Amino acid sequence: MIFSALKLLLPAIIPSWNFFDVIVPSPRIQIALLQSKKQTKPEWAEFRPRPRSLSVKQLFVHLFWNAQWNESLFLVSCAERLIDYPTQHSEEEIFTRIINDTVLKKHKPQYEYIKFRLVFVRREGEALIEEVRYQSKARQIENDR
Amino acid sequence: MDFELAIRITEIALGFALFQQSIEHLRTYLIERIIFLPRAVLAVLLIVGVATSWVIVALLVLSIVILYRFDGPYNGGADRMGLLVLVCLVLVHFLPTLYWKELAFGYLAVQLTLSYFISGYVKVINPQWRNGHALSDVFLFSAYPVSESLRCFSRSKRLLLIMSWLVIMFELMFPFMLLTQATLVVALVIAAAFHLSNAVLFGLNRFFLVWLAAYPSIIWFQERIFVTI
Repeated sequence: MIFSALKLLLPAIIPSWNFFDVIVPSPRIQIALLQSKKQTKPEWAEFRPRPRSLSVKQLFVHLFWNAQWNESLFLVSCAERLIDYPTQHSEEEIFTRIINDTVLKKHKPQYEYIKFRLVFVRREGEALIEEVRYQSKARQIENDR
Repeated sequence: MDFELAIRITEIALGFALFQQSIEHLRTYLIERIIFLPRAVLAVLLIVGVATSWVIVALLVLSIVILYRFDGPYNGGADRMGLLVLVCLVLVHFLPTLYWKELAFGYLAVQLTLSYFISGYVKVINPQWRNGHALSDVFLFSAYPVSESLRCFSRSKRLLLIMSWLVIMFELMFPFMLLTQATLVVALVIAAAFHLSNAVLFGLNRFFLVWLAAYPSIIWFQERIFVTI
């Protein structure tokens, strides 16, 4: 218990501070809603696509209240963790938040299952390359409501 | 800046930073409300200055609980800086002599300096940062730009090259700005503007507030070290 607390605390007490040292491939979470578990060729859509633009007022408000964006950045961390050292925790965090956002708030009762995949974007020369590096199993939505 | 005053301003600034972070968690999940509502209340107590020693201990314990809850930091560097400030404040309040208290608070100032210098060092040794491609990539495909329209900055190669070098030079020069109080104040204003621009462009609002909370330590440290000498 003390050891694991120290393990979590140490990076804060002796930080590395190497922000943005290397620009690594960046994850995007894509989700697919399914009517049955065996549905083939699901339609993938980006989870929380960023807006086209933001007004000055929105930018100002986000200095003090940016809850959804910070949650999205946390999900980026979970996506990176899921690739670097997979844990059930990271997958659960992603599932919980996409189900809450996509299904419960938008009332889509016709869908029984949901799954997500992680697409990593990187630059090669002048081209942007997208690579699917993780795909979850389909999860029954009802279980999480 | 007087030691006691620097400590008190740090507590107030950290209180605001932790309060802002905490209220963002009150909107959705019950488990997060259970953790972050007490944290918001403790942050207010820290701002007001009620039972401060025990409030910061409670905040530190809650921060460890939060690390467990999210299997690490929720918001990367911002959470880590918040924890570092908290740990240093706990030491300041509970260490027995002024010498050790000053050492603990000085450690925060040193880490703040390193936060800029090391960030600059890791960039300057990377050719992708030196030729401006790294910053271009941040705008082009990273998860950080807050809107799609910001991605068009990735095409402004010359501007990004200049910005990359300005950031690198500023971060590397930061330790030297401690030589006089005037240069330190200028450096902190530039640094705050840098964090503000990161908050606006990349939505890193938590970094802005929590880094400001560490500034009193370096203002006190500069006076303590360089003026005394």
